Amino acid sequence: MAQETEVREEEMQREYRNVGKPVTRIEGAGKVTGETIYADDMQLPRMLHAKVLGSPYAHARIKSIDGSAARQHPGVEAVFTPADLPEYKKNFSNRRGVIFPDEEVLFYGQPVAAVLASDPHVAEEALALIKVEYEALPPVVDPITAMEESSPLVRSPLGDVDRSEERGHVTVGVEQEEAEGKPSNIASQMNFKRGDVEAGFEQADVVVEHTWRSAVVHQSYIEPHSTVADYDASGELSVWTSTQAPFYIRDELSQTLGLPENKIRVTATEVGGGFGGKIYLQELMVAALAMAVRRPVKYIMSRKEDMLAATPAPQAVIDLKTSMTRDGKLTALKSRVVYDSGAFPGAPMLPGCLLVGGYYKCENLDIQGYEVLTNKVSVGALRAPGAHNVTFAIESHMDMMARELGLDPIEVRLKNAVEEGDPLPSGQPYPRIGLKQCLEAIAESEVWGRRNRERGTGNRGVGLAVGGWLGGLQPASAIVCLNSDGTINVTVGSADITGTNTSFAQITAEVLNVPLEMVNVTTGDTRTAPYAGMSAGSKTTYTVGRAVKLAAEDARQQMLEIAAKRFEAAPKELEMADGVVRLNGSDEKTLTFQRLGRLSTNFAAPFPAVVGRGAITTRKMAPGFTAQAAEVEVDTDTGEVTVLGFAVAQDAGFAINPLSVEGQMQGGASQGLGIALSEEMMYDSEGRLLNGNLLDYRMPTTRDLPPIEAIIVEVPSEEGPYGARIVGEPSIVAGAAAVGNAIADAIGVHLTDAPFTPERVLRALGKL
Amino acid sequence: MPKQLITLIVNGRRTEVAVEPRWTLLEMVREELRLSGSKEGCGTGDCGACSMIVDGRLVTSCLMLATQVDGRDVVTIEGLAKNGRLHPVQQAFIDTGGVQCGFCTPGMIMAAKSLLDRTPSPTLEEVREGLAGNLCRCTGYAKIYEAVMHAANAGK
Amino acid sequence: MRTFEYHAPTSLNEAISLLQEHGEAARPLAGGTDLVVQMKEKATKFAAPSHIVSLLRVPELSGVSFSESEGLRIGAGATMSQVADSPIIRERYRAIAEGAALVGSIQTMNMATVGGNLCNAAPSADIAPPLLAFEAEAVIVGPSGRRKLALEEFFLGPGKTALAADELLAEVRVPLPPPGMGSAYDRHTPRKQMDIAVVGVAAALTMAGERIERARVALGAVAPTPVRAPQAEAALEGQAPSDELFARAADVSAAECSPIADLRGSAEFRRHIVRVMTKRMLREALDRARSG
Repeated sequence: MAQETEVREEEMQREYRNVGKPVTRIEGAGKVTGETIYADDMQLPRMLHAKVLGSPYAHARIKSIDGSAARQHPGVEAVFTPADLPEYKKNFSNRRGVIFPDEEVLFYGQPVAAVLASDPHVAEEALALIKVEYEALPPVVDPITAMEESSPLVRSPLGDVDRSEERGHVTVGVEQEEAEGKPSNIASQMNFKRGDVEAGFEQADVVVEHTWRSAVVHQSYIEPHSTVADYDASGELSVWTSTQAPFYIRDELSQTLGLPENKIRVTATEVGGGFGGKIYLQELMVAALAMAVRRPVKYIMSRKEDMLAATPAPQAVIDLKTSMTRDGKLTALKSRVVYDSGAFPGAPMLPGCLLVGGYYKCENLDIQGYEVLTNKVSVGALRAPGAHNVTFAIESHMDMMARELGLDPIEVRLKNAVEEGDPLPSGQPYPRIGLKQCLEAIAESEVWGRRNRERGTGNRGVGLAVGGWLGGLQPASAIVCLNSDGTINVTVGSADITGTNTSFAQITAEVLNVPLEMVNVTTGDTRTAPYAGMSAGSKTTYTVGRAVKLAAEDARQQMLEIAAKRFEAAPKELEMADGVVRLNGSDEKTLTFQRLGRLSTNFAAPFPAVVGRGAITTRKMAPGFTAQAAEVEVDTDTGEVTVLGFAVAQDAGFAINPLSVEGQMQGGASQGLGIALSEEMMYDSEGRLLNGNLLDYRMPTTRDLPPIEAIIVEVPSEEGPYGARIVGEPSIVAGAAAVGNAIADAIGVHLTDAPFTPERVLRALGKL
Repeated sequence: MPKQLITLIVNGRRTEVAVEPRWTLLEMVREELRLSGSKEGCGTGDCGACSMIVDGRLVTSCLMLATQVDGRDVVTIEGLAKNGRLHPVQQAFIDTGGVQCGFCTPGMIMAAKSLLDRTPSPTLEEVREGLAGNLCRCTGYAKIYEAVMHAANAGK
Repeated sequence: MRTFEYHAPTSLNEAISLLQEHGEAARPLAGGTDLVVQMKEKATKFAAPSHIVSLLRVPELSGVSFSESEGLRIGAGATMSQVADSPIIRERYRAIAEGAALVGSIQTMNMATVGGNLCNAAPSADIAPPLLAFEAEAVIVGPSGRRKLALEEFFLGPGKTALAADELLAEVRVPLPPPGMGSAYDRHTPRKQMDIAVVGVAAALTMAGERIERARVALGAVAPTPVRAPQAEAALEGQAPSDELFARAADVSAAECSPIADLRGSAEFRRHIVRVMTKRMLREALDRARSG
């Protein structure tokens, strides 16, 4: 490892030709012409369409289901009620262990039956013919009420909970306590303590205490969940699905359906947006139905189904008490962090508890986390899951304390910001991080520059907040092959959801010192590709990128060895540039990549094929921090908040492709702005979703978002390729807090409930 | 329900299609004509991923019945590139990084083309107004604004 | 979507006969931006239709025309884009153009029709308050001929109109605006576009010298139908315009509307917004009246 680091530091000295340069996406032409194939674009012979019946109750017992009338409907091929499903290993404690509930329905819209037909309209018609008799049970909707001892239970008691999916998003080696003892709606809890918080509050000059609420929000990828599955005569299951996690799905399907992993081929089709929400959901049902009917089955969620029954991000209620001395030192932080997990465990309580006390040095901490079940759809990841909820709380507090003490918000943050070696609330020390550098960069942004100029004019305000994400860790591998014409193929197993394959091409081209065009990259399926963890937790470039680099270095070494043998020289006497290997300085002793390719692929070729292999694992995090500034205008009569400007500074470690890094920063920031301004899944007292469409679930439109300023900060990570660190997720984290602080700058009041709708602004102003 | 024969121009070519009355234009184009570039993101006209140009006007094809385009002129994303050369708007989306997951991209490009047909040199505000019916979840729109401004300049 | 038979009549008479023949089983279809969504979601405000009568090819329903003697005629089939882009409407009936320009996205505006927006009878229809402020009339055609109805009487409740099953809204007639009139429409939405009005307010003021001769205030999304605010209008007429007067009229309109609470806002919030927006629209209408 030491050797690898040495090589990298040497590399940092020289000018790169491929990495660090803005590059357009290798798959761009297919996407702008509409040629790219997404799961819903697939057509297979004999394919059937699945339509799914959802529960009209948030909590109910199924007394009976009768599919006979639906079966008689002309054109219907099959109807599946819980009793008709093929055998699978059920686990009712986990969402991914259940196709349809046998008995107890736990959320509004939960799938209870399905129909297959070759015409999707016919399948949909038949849904109305399935007769389900329910016995309504009392729904538990509010997480705080759910925690009370007197609350009805959300569900029958949990069995073993599998937390493998959450660990793909954040991997920190800390476990939460699963609930034990008397049944309650608290699925799990955890506590981090350090020092003595009461003593810390005593020492302080200002103490601030508030409760912060954030809403259930939806990933709202434009492509709904989409899957096609087929089961052939040889007993092989193929699944084409819009997922970030093909190998994870393979492993889960293998265990649940009892097929060996080498008989399952999961292909991650082009993902039309995932953001953490497309890991593993409907694939089990589609695979089981395809196995039952032995025909290809396609299931595309309608937008409404996706909003009702996919895995949105949780609401949270954060009680926070913090204190600071007159000179701006944070002395104590006490918090109760409650995440509403919906009907199954899986809420990001752990990262929430780590991050609420993870941005600043603080000697006295007491953080208590709860993961609470309710009769709402179970939650999943959304870009840095759980982070925005707690960041809203702590970053509002930092501003409030600074304001009370008359201190500069950037200075106060710089004074307390964590650095390498500082402990997380769990006690683990941070590796090298760039929080301070992000704060310094945002101070230079155009938006922050308007802070003092625009203040007090026309209800405008400028605010900022920081945020961070720790990232996931999983092994990864890659293969780099030399083709007979001298071009290069790279094969990986990671779904490309952010332009990572383009970055892999850059890395490979850098190592082999060739123009980018000579390299192509493929995401293979789970039977052809080398293993990679899920494309989640911002880890793809950090982990798979490093494997690609190793594989390219391996291929380079093999090519040099071939040349060395031809020239009867040592590999270190050779240089490689622009597709040619040459003996030091020689004009005659050269071998083109094409020649090398032929020498290692032709009939009776003298050398074996060049196949570079790279495989890594890492336990070292490369956390990503961000600082973000917002400029807003508040219409104090209507309560309307207009974002006039927004800037994101983020530590990317080393931006292998600055164009896609900026895109990640701007995209994540826009989702943070949605959380701040308008996104909220609304439920009635019976647990029914009121706004399951893209009209009433208001993600920002072009009219809502000004161009977002992206400022890349580079504090190299210790293990990432060329110093790259996690990138995808941090950008979503700070939006709500930054906008909240900007609103407070404009109108003097902090809003404690996000999103900051006009009605909430007016209430904060006392106008309603 | 028996199918109805309709005749229309799709991307410049006269086409006859037998359609069911309940098919939308989007469904007909994707499933029957097998032009799968136009996407369905919501089915309720709120996301714009299915945008096409009918008789010169931008529409959400998920809310138009196939029968309603009988005798009309339809342009889909597949009709933009000519002889293997990308339309300037398509090229600009690639060059500026306006493409990420790609699912909103066909509809977004149709909206951008339609905007530039009406307003060849739009201001940033006009771009933001012209694309307001097309949701993108990946880019935060910044690079899409750049792409459209870039394409407008390229078209001069 | 349930299946249905599709009809594409090419004359108003043919369309009416089809509606007459199929009765409650038929629904007229114009732009589809409301009806197709409702049919897909099986959330029609009526039984799923087994006959769809497309009005796309009915020539009598199309277009916008104007004459100094007759005023403005907007065909029920005119799209929101046609209305928003019409030079005469922009010049003489500004609030109507503003209402049309706020309906959804450009795509929606290119498809949605004035007739569809009115016949869907959503309390939040953006085209309705400005038309009410201009005292528009609905021209209805049925088997027994044409009848005219003040637009106020056209709306009966959410999703309910005065149309019989075999009648169609053919056009909207808007009287010639008197000299010295200015009008404005705007709405409040949480998102800047692609949203449904939480409150919509149209105002039209006709000035006679320094006094308000005639005032019209119409509100959307704060009652079972789009409504006029007659008490606010009465408070304005005959008075000299001032911020105080407008504030008083805004209080009156907020008091006389009857909003409900739903996912888009509480009743209290809606009343507050009616007050704010009424004031703003009156100020805008006055400025326009004065600048001619």
